Amino acid sequence: MSAHSHLDGKLPHEPERATLEGRNKVLGFWLFLGGETVLFGTLFSAFLALRDQVGDGNPTSQELFKLATVAIATVILLTSSLTSVFAIQAMHRGQVKAMQNWLIVTVVLGLAFLGLEVYEFIEYTHEGHQFSTSAFSSSFYTLVGFHGAHVALGVVWISLLIGQIYRKGLTVVTAPKVYVAGMYWHFIDVVWVFIFTVVYLMGKVG
Amino acid sequence: MANHTTHSEEPAKRHKHEGPKKHIVAYIFSMLLTLVAFATVIGGEINTSFIYILLIIMAIMQVIIQMGFWMHMKDRGHLFPIVGILSGVFVVFTIVIMAEFWTWW
Repeated sequence: MSAHSHLDGKLPHEPERATLEGRNKVLGFWLFLGGETVLFGTLFSAFLALRDQVGDGNPTSQELFKLATVAIATVILLTSSLTSVFAIQAMHRGQVKAMQNWLIVTVVLGLAFLGLEVYEFIEYTHEGHQFSTSAFSSSFYTLVGFHGAHVALGVVWISLLIGQIYRKGLTVVTAPKVYVAGMYWHFIDVVWVFIFTVVYLMGKVG
Repeated sequence: MANHTTHSEEPAKRHKHEGPKKHIVAYIFSMLLTLVAFATVIGGEINTSFIYILLIIMAIMQVIIQMGFWMHMKDRGHLFPIVGILSGVFVVFTIVIMAEFWTWW
């Protein structure tokens, strides 16, 4: 198997949990995700409290949101979650090349999502929905923008990981990094599920 | 290739590699949930609070798929992550309810 040839000896079945450092990284990352949950929770609570504060003559969520764009973005992000799972599964089989390819697909899908979001925000600003238009617009851009920033960070992070693994190979040191990045990506997806439900769909219902 | 089988045989006895099938099923489920969520809103003649409840239920089901299957929370040895995330969720619910009541009631 050529996939194993550049590894020094055998890699354990779950390389991300092979060392204490690796296990601690995963546990520490769960703690970080707990903190992230609270961070997004506060942004959601601000949005929910302010979403009807539109002011005079400014666009409401019903007038503004286009569900087609949101639906496409959702499909893209859900698919990228699946491809990152495939990357982790490839890692567990020791197929470094397949793992790298799935990670690249994930990054590309993440970039597509970001592109759509930028396009969407530009559309909204043209329709008079700017950051400082109303309490609704401020809380909307803060919440959705924060999620977008997380996606952007994830794209940069996973890209750097692809580069590092290309140079250093998959080892017990690099494997936990990939695993943790995968967890981060799923978390971003979970947050998006709530954004499309609470912000867009509930906003459309009114 | 012979080298590969000797490599994978030993750990395979303890751990079976899980195939992609389960994850594709999970993916199809989450797509269906998304489709139903969007369809109810676009179709939307039903009353608002019913749609809200329906949407929230579907969001929670999506999260169970994501965290259970894709973040491996259903696997054993995940007590700490579950406790951690649940306490985070508890804090979030408190914050959301507090903010709503504090601002508007």
